[in-house]
Amino acid sequence: MSELARIITSSDPAVRDRSLDAFCRGASTRELLAATVELEALRSSSDNLYHRVRALFFLYAIYRFYLPRTAGVAARGMIPFTGYTHLLNRRFEEAITIFRTAQSAGPTDPLCSALAVAYHRLAFQTLADQVRRSVRSVRGNQWMFRVGHPADQPLRVRTELRERAAADVPFPVLRESTPVRMDLTHSGWSDIFFLGMDFPEGARVLNVSIDLGVRGRDAQPRPPVEAYFRVIDEPVLRLTSIDLATTADITDLAEVFDFARDYLGLLKAAVIAAGLVPPGMEGSGQRLADLLAQLVGAGNGIELVSSVNGIPKGSRLAVSTNLLASLIAVCMRATGQAASLTGQLAEHERRLVAARAILGEWLAGSGGGWQDSGGVWPGMKLIQGVLAAEGDPEYGVSRGRLLPSHHILGRDEASDATRLALQESLVLVHGGMAQNVGPILEMVTEKYLLRSDAEWRARQDALGILDTILQALHEGDIPMIGAATTRNFFEPIQTIIPWATNLYTEQLIAQSRAAFGTDFWGFWMLGGMSGGGMGFIFAPQRKAEAQERLQSLMSSAKRRLEHALPFAMEPVVYDFVINERGTYAELLEGNTALLPAGYYALIVPAMLRADPRTLPASRRVELDRFGAATRTQPELASMVPSLFDQLLPQVRREGAGARELHALLDENGFDRVQHEQIRADMRAGRIGLMQNRLSPTTDIRDVEPGDVYDATGFLPAELERIGQAALAAGQVAVVSLAAGAGSRWTQGAGVVKALHPFARLAGKHRTFVETHLAKSRRVGRSVGATIPHIFTTSYLTHAPIAAYLAAERNYGYDGPLLLSPGRSVGLRLVPTVRDLRFAWEELPVQVLDEQAQKMRASLHAALISWVQSVGEGSDYTDNVPSQCLHPVGHWFEVPNMLRNGTLAQLLTERPGLRYLMVHNIDTLGADVDPGLLGLHISRQSGLTFEVITRRIEDRGGGLARVDGTLRLLEGLAMPREEDEFDLSYYNTMTTWVDIDQLLRAFALTRDELQDHARVVGAIRALGARVPTYITLKDVKKRWGHGQEDLFPVAQFEKLWGDLSTLPELNCGYVAVPRVRGQQLKDQAQLDGWLRDGSADYVESLCEWG
Amino acid sequence: MKVTKAVITSAGPAQRALPLQRIIDRDGVSKPVLQIILEEALHAGVDEVGIVVAPGDTEVFAQAVGEHRARLRFIEQAAPRGYGHAVYCARQFVGAAPFLHLVGDHLYISRTEHGCARQLVELARAENCAISAVQPSRESLLPYYGTVGGRLVPGTQNLYVVEQVIEKPTPTEAEQRLMVPGLRVGHYLCFFGMHVLTPTVMELLGAQIERAGASPIQLSPALHELARHERYLALANIGRRYDVGVKYGLLTAQLALALDGPDRDEVLSSLVELLATRHA
Repeated sequence: MSELARIITSSDPAVRDRSLDAFCRGASTRELLAATVELEALRSSSDNLYHRVRALFFLYAIYRFYLPRTAGVAARGMIPFTGYTHLLNRRFEEAITIFRTAQSAGPTDPLCSALAVAYHRLAFQTLADQVRRSVRSVRGNQWMFRVGHPADQPLRVRTELRERAAADVPFPVLRESTPVRMDLTHSGWSDIFFLGMDFPEGARVLNVSIDLGVRGRDAQPRPPVEAYFRVIDEPVLRLTSIDLATTADITDLAEVFDFARDYLGLLKAAVIAAGLVPPGMEGSGQRLADLLAQLVGAGNGIELVSSVNGIPKGSRLAVSTNLLASLIAVCMRATGQAASLTGQLAEHERRLVAARAILGEWLAGSGGGWQDSGGVWPGMKLIQGVLAAEGDPEYGVSRGRLLPSHHILGRDEASDATRLALQESLVLVHGGMAQNVGPILEMVTEKYLLRSDAEWRARQDALGILDTILQALHEGDIPMIGAATTRNFFEPIQTIIPWATNLYTEQLIAQSRAAFGTDFWGFWMLGGMSGGGMGFIFAPQRKAEAQERLQSLMSSAKRRLEHALPFAMEPVVYDFVINERGTYAELLEGNTALLPAGYYALIVPAMLRADPRTLPASRRVELDRFGAATRTQPELASMVPSLFDQLLPQVRREGAGARELHALLDENGFDRVQHEQIRADMRAGRIGLMQNRLSPTTDIRDVEPGDVYDATGFLPAELERIGQAALAAGQVAVVSLAAGAGSRWTQGAGVVKALHPFARLAGKHRTFVETHLAKSRRVGRSVGATIPHIFTTSYLTHAPIAAYLAAERNYGYDGPLLLSPGRSVGLRLVPTVRDLRFAWEELPVQVLDEQAQKMRASLHAALISWVQSVGEGSDYTDNVPSQCLHPVGHWFEVPNMLRNGTLAQLLTERPGLRYLMVHNIDTLGADVDPGLLGLHISRQSGLTFEVITRRIEDRGGGLARVDGTLRLLEGLAMPREEDEFDLSYYNTMTTWVDIDQLLRAFALTRDELQDHARVVGAIRALGARVPTYITLKDVKKRWGHGQEDLFPVAQFEKLWGDLSTLPELNCGYVAVPRVRGQQLKDQAQLDGWLRDGSADYVESLCEWG
Repeated sequence: MKVTKAVITSAGPAQRALPLQRIIDRDGVSKPVLQIILEEALHAGVDEVGIVVAPGDTEVFAQAVGEHRARLRFIEQAAPRGYGHAVYCARQFVGAAPFLHLVGDHLYISRTEHGCARQLVELARAENCAISAVQPSRESLLPYYGTVGGRLVPGTQNLYVVEQVIEKPTPTEAEQRLMVPGLRVGHYLCFFGMHVLTPTVMELLGAQIERAGASPIQLSPALHELARHERYLALANIGRRYDVGVKYGLLTAQLALALDGPDRDEVLSSLVELLATRHA
């Protein structure tokens, strides 16, 4: 047995916990390939889940991080398209077979990237499958998968809820109130299911149930989550989410399983997970009314209402899991699955609610940690993983059980005085940032399974910190807790995941420390990452002051950084108390059998519009009771004005937004004539995703020898010399394209990517802008000159970048630093159904996990309905104005420099300027390399495009011979998807430009740049020669308390690479090392970028100001 | 353990009229349901039967039992306080002896030539302990029955040591606490409506009544307690049980009786004719 196999299969922790790195560091290509063969055999033959998964992660890491660095791996190669399509369709085994077969001809970097992705995805799929199996096999959950007919439904709603005083009054209401949970420490994300199931000894969480109120808004904290259940005398399932202002009467069984149709997915998941509509009923074709008849008697139905007390999304307090648990608990009580109809739940009932919540999260395609339903339990509790024993469904499959154990801390472990002291010291906030924590959880799992040295030590360290906090609770020492949580954040947490912190959080901590000195006791990260829910601990006598101060610190930091980081809402400070009851139910009968006021605000307007005679008698009585209550209960006094707001909601909002949008369009050179033409063409089907493509008869081939200059090794000294001379003579400027919002970077949040402090380099968080300037500074100083640096901007990015640079004093950049504002803007359009279907059904898309795929299908149906209801090709205006506009593609960014005078200004100041290096904001490795500049000069090209060999993630076109002519071909224009997989090189977008040759292509001279009309005409003329593409982008629409929806919208673009089709530009192509040419498109790439040496490379290019 | 007394409960508000329903027994004779149940008990070898009835029902029940009148004692349950309370009303009648207990709305068809009750009584005598007849039932029937959890007595195929008894459990509860090895997935041991019980049950019921206040008294909690106090078995698959109180229950019971007797061919022919007519 090989060394790696022994590490994986050993039961001795000293062997099992060794890292992969120790083995792979310094191994040769041959040794690594031999290891992959053994690991592949092990993972294929082992029955043990974790042996398989760990072998898969080892394989992934070898292909991702170790093999590509060895000498025996060719940089250039092809990835078989069939393997890629298998990957998209989640047929990982087949993909791996194809890639491994291709690899037998010799390992290549592209194949390594493909195998890394395949093993990575298969590993997570294997883990997810196991969690799903375990959730289904938990006793108490299994029966629900067997019920396939209404007659099989064994549940009945309890008689207390089915009896009423008279036939025309409403039924009693069962109300469940549930706290949320905060974790004092999660011990290095040890609440991830996979970790708890492999390493239950290390899965430990200290979790506290709390009531919450927003400071300044709520009179006092209360359980933030409520669920209401009642029987109704209509045979429907009525679901209402008060906080999401949505209600629906469901009569069709299939609709219960349609999660993304509306905002009621969580309620539907609860109805299913609680067994009211058991999961086994999906697709049965039975009638919902028959099922309801079994539960509550013929002719009756069930109403379920959820309410969240205005707690914003992303609070890191597991609001949605606890809401799900609350809904499940109320349904389980109502159907006798919990013995206690009211009051607290018994321990075994709480465990069942937790298991059902896991099931519900899986059904709804979301996922949380196993501590998340902690609000169901009272007070403070230590939640720990449990070793699987004989009789457990997990036994023999995984080391740990799916469900952990909960130990509620007694007063001997945390006294009342300690609890009070904690409450009086802790300032709990929502920083306002909303980020997807999913990639972080994947990174944690991966690092755990690889047992990387530093991370593994950090994990042990985190466990020690939990013990320290337990001890501090026992001793009532709150400063000790603050010190421990702070150390937790800065040491183990950031060692495992550097991305858990961000500039915003660190500024808040530093400012709190500066303002409060020794009275600031510590910081505490809630949940998966910082920036949203966070805790700051202060000496109790200064808590009120600290709450006030933090609110203003957060608000001003947000104003400073809101264009750089994805803020979803205004930061808030909470008031909180520890909840010592856990989830708790009350039965409301007679005149008190009312739902919360928000419910009536939502449904009464529709009732007022309806004919009163069509309302059921019980509804009329209920409204009568509610009316009486508004007259007698002071807390309902605001109902009348809020009803008016509901009845007339649109008038105010639309007016202001529309005016602002029109102003922005006018300011940014919106071309109405062109817009109407595009709309007409799109509606008529003359342009669209399908029409972006070249004709299917186009001959697309890979480059031929001599087409590309290979600069992946050392360049001749002569070229270096030419480049340095040009630099010293001030002939070069850098143009960083920063007009785009980086849709993928923040999933359509519309922040300025250029300003994102994306990573810590040389000990500080650095923005893209700062990093590019640092590279220009280093090169400039090396030749004793200053390099002009231009950032192109757009309506979206100009003002924030200008303000940021001003605030940072240009990061101390000593050369000319110019902004080139955009002069073109488009208005986004509602896409056509044809394009949506093309994107979803014709283009190869990544198939998701089973349940998530169902969610996606359901969402697609909802989006098609949206398009049909608002009208294909209509203006997209139902969002904040900045999200309705769009930059019109990077083709325009250099012409904008002509149009807005930036280039003319530069040429006036520096007549010797001859070359530009144009690059994307996210190509961090691109610098003004003298050798490459020398190459560009010596070859006398108009444009020299830098390309890199392709990896699997490099999608979107490449360098090709198109009908015999060498050019860059955009992915949008590929006639067939597979064509891209025959191309060796991917376009980095980094381009060396000979200014005079470019001007000639525009039919301009340097002097004519002063003639605005001529410049505009020249740009229009050249623009007509490059294609216009229709693209779909996802934009976020924010609403409510941090809620976000994604809408696909259509926009048009012209792309820079299409200039390579113009023969007069005399284009050249140079292959550069990957570290230079790769782009950071997605924040999930950052960890790999840090680990594979790319970050070190970038840092080596920089000289910080 | 010699069983000489039986208790039949017929006092439930919803079941008072059921025992008086006439039905054709398997021998082709028309008789009230109560009489068939009574004969089941008497064939098991008991000498005396106590019938728990609602106040005022004694006379009409007495008329329904005909020739067996002399071996009956009518016990009135003053108020409808639940099934367990009805059993408890017979405590003086049973005294300190074990007794056979049947419910007044179930009919039974044995798998053997001996009646179901007789098999149960004989086994109770052999094992010298309380024993309940059970029937593996699909989980959708859980809302109707008391259900037991336990383990198979080694060396047997249908005899279980009872460890838990829950009245009308939810499937969730059943899956967690009442799963019995060897049964089909989703099947549980539900009461058959027939038990041989020891006098301890009466004590447990008495204690339960004291604690319960005005709440209804069920038999299952007392049987759950019984399993903790003394050896208590469950015997499965001794025959089929027919609840005449459910929708079409009487019809199904009638068909089952008829198909089990000498008129089987005649009834089958009628059924086939009915089916054929419907299809036509």
